[in-house]
Amino acid sequence: MAEQSMTRNILKKGVIGVVVGMVFVIVAKATHFPTVFQVMFFIYAMLGAFVFILLDAPSMNRLQGGKAIVGLILFYLVLSGVYIGGATGLPQYDPEIEKGKIDKILKARRARTQRGKAEELIARAKALNERAASIDERLKALGGGAQVAVDAEAVPTSPAAAGDLVALGKEQWELQECYNCHKLFGKGGKKRGPELDNIGNLMTPEALRQKILSPKSWMAEGFEKQYKKGKMPNKYKDLMFDEEVDALVAFLATLKDSSVKTPKPVKMN
Amino acid sequence: MNVSTRSLVIVLGLVLGGAALASAQVPPAPPAEFPYTGNRTAVWIVAQLHILFAAFILGAPIFAVVSEWLGYKNQDPKYDRLAKEVTKVTVILYSMTALTGGLFIFVLLATYPDFTTWLIKHFFLIFALVYPLLFILETIVLYLYFYSWDSLKGEKKARHIALGVLLNVIGTVTLFVIDGPTSFMNTPAKAAEGVSIFEYIQTAGLWDKIANYSWMPLNLHRLVGNVTFGGFIAGLIAAYMYMGAKSDEERSYYDWMGFVGNLIGVGALLLLPFMGYLLAYELCDYDASICPYMMADQLSMFFEMQGAMVGLIFLASNYYIWLSMKRIQGVEQVRISGMVMIAVILIPAVMSVAWKLFPPPEWQSLIFLALLIVLPPILSRLPGLRFTVSSFTMIKVGFLMIVVANAIWMTPHGFVATQALATEELELPSWASELALMPAKNAAAFTLVFLTIVNYILYNRAIRSGTIIWGKIDFTSQFVLIFLAFSAIWTMGLMGTVRSLTRKYYHVYNLMPDFTAESFTPTLAYSAWWITGVTLLFYLVVSFAIVVTLGGGGQKTEAPQGTPVPAGAK
Repeated sequence: MAEQSMTRNILKKGVIGVVVGMVFVIVAKATHFPTVFQVMFFIYAMLGAFVFILLDAPSMNRLQGGKAIVGLILFYLVLSGVYIGGATGLPQYDPEIEKGKIDKILKARRARTQRGKAEELIARAKALNERAASIDERLKALGGGAQVAVDAEAVPTSPAAAGDLVALGKEQWELQECYNCHKLFGKGGKKRGPELDNIGNLMTPEALRQKILSPKSWMAEGFEKQYKKGKMPNKYKDLMFDEEVDALVAFLATLKDSSVKTPKPVKMN
Repeated sequence: MNVSTRSLVIVLGLVLGGAALASAQVPPAPPAEFPYTGNRTAVWIVAQLHILFAAFILGAPIFAVVSEWLGYKNQDPKYDRLAKEVTKVTVILYSMTALTGGLFIFVLLATYPDFTTWLIKHFFLIFALVYPLLFILETIVLYLYFYSWDSLKGEKKARHIALGVLLNVIGTVTLFVIDGPTSFMNTPAKAAEGVSIFEYIQTAGLWDKIANYSWMPLNLHRLVGNVTFGGFIAGLIAAYMYMGAKSDEERSYYDWMGFVGNLIGVGALLLLPFMGYLLAYELCDYDASICPYMMADQLSMFFEMQGAMVGLIFLASNYYIWLSMKRIQGVEQVRISGMVMIAVILIPAVMSVAWKLFPPPEWQSLIFLALLIVLPPILSRLPGLRFTVSSFTMIKVGFLMIVVANAIWMTPHGFVATQALATEELELPSWASELALMPAKNAAAFTLVFLTIVNYILYNRAIRSGTIIWGKIDFTSQFVLIFLAFSAIWTMGLMGTVRSLTRKYYHVYNLMPDFTAESFTPTLAYSAWWITGVTLLFYLVVSFAIVVTLGGGGQKTEAPQGTPVPAGAK
């Protein structure tokens, strides 16, 4: 009897859930929700149906002894599976994206620590040793008199050395995640900070440097509340090396798109 | 485990901790390499286990002393038995807290020697003196509290309760003290404009480092979280014992214990969303870049999962109230004003608009809130609006709104792990973007809290006018109690992971970079495996402790149980 009533309960609420879910999907489609959200709304409807099935479900028989233990173990396994499955089913952030970024930020900093310096020296000594061995072998092979060509890759050419300071500055924009608070080229946040497409026309490189290192020195018009709350972190003087700040300033100074209304900077102190 | 073994284990734990501290003073050694898990995950597992045990031994005594006091006040021996049984389990798990604490310091020193010694040096007074002393003091008072239970009864009961209060004061101070270095790692003391944080931190005093941005929010969040945790674990103990009970008398007692555990757990749970919000607010206020990292980028799906977990916990706790009400005879006669039902339906929409117009901390939104609470009882007195609905109808409408609130809470801005990958096919249409913003999320959280309170009001009315038979609750309720404890622990693990990850690639945010290859944000799937593993391990130990301490049947209650009694007279 209880089984029959449970089956009826499941069928009735299940059908209602499916119907409501379909209505949600149709309305969501008509109002331009992407497919993934349509599926989500359908799942919500089914969750509602599941809840109402539980509310009207008949009482469960008491489990005792071995049955209770098996029931408990199964329950824990199901819960674990559902939670792991649920978490796995959601979109996953690819750590590889972040690893490259972290490596770029921390490499220079690590090199300046005592341990980093020691490791760099060891690595250099090792590389020199290998190179000496290789030269020695080539000399031997050539009878000892030939001139050895220097490997092109042995001479490091950084973008900065090649005069690409602006490209390095753009990289700093990404690494320091300035886009979280500033919109640029149509991307990024604009609630916490002003969009900066035309900042090169409004601030000198020296003023830009001042703003980065001492955020309270300038304020964007219309951002009084954010200025008062100190939304721009006062941390870049500690976290960025001089050459990194130079590069970022060089990049910002090139932003001269006057079609974008970048708020006027006001000198504060 | 007898007293001497327990004492031995605790002393061993303290010695391990002390030795670990002492070894922090020797020159740095090459870090150890943990096979399979890697160093970070090894620290993660041990730290999470330690925090779970610590949360229990801090939360359970609060639960126990409140219960003991209620028993004393109402002269009801059931409460006293409940308090004693929870304390019994606490005493066993106390040893585990000490052991995992010692292990935690050892693993930390072996894997991250530079950072650990750096942190210990900055908080030397705390790690070397204050924290160990508090721990020893807490141990002494806990044992005094437990072993004086039978001698300090009758007229001396008040003294015993005072001892319990003292235990909780020491426990809370211990929590606040250790939260100092923990919160410092997230939000180290800020230097004044123009002063380098590196220079400032070398000269800053201990108090400057402790009283950082996230210290008090973390204290409050953990304190309330621990009470929730204590309540749900008491529910778990009750469920196990109910399942193993041999007599109606035992079943009626553990049915009642499960109800009280759930009541305390849910009562504290109602505050948790707001405490979590306060902590997140302070983190964002400290450094605006933490906010998008949490809500829009790497950790956004962790919060999606959190929304699902909190939603499930609220659903389950209300389902437990429903099952509790179903066994009250005469419950069908309990009715409530239809205006309350209308208010419940309107809450998500009205509060979303209110918080959009007046975001916290602006006070004007409270006017809307007050109107929603005050208007239903006033309007229901007006002629023509005096219609009522049955308690079951009200609860069912409430469940519908819980599902709606869960849906709002879980609706993300986009189904992407980071905004950088967002496309139109994965994002909310612009006209509906409000669904993913804080006003809507706050309104959803408030709806969940409001509905839970309404359900408890209905329950209260039902037990006043009906007759309750303890021990006759639907057996499903025991699985609900177990579900609540498991899910609460899992969510705790998830949010602990989030808090730790907000330091990004730093051991101490912006101050001490983590140069190891593991300083990236792990995926949610990877995290979920370890959170589940730690939860199961903790469950295994707690289940063992419950069976060992209470499995013999526990003490028999003096009050007659299992017979129908007017619920209001309990």
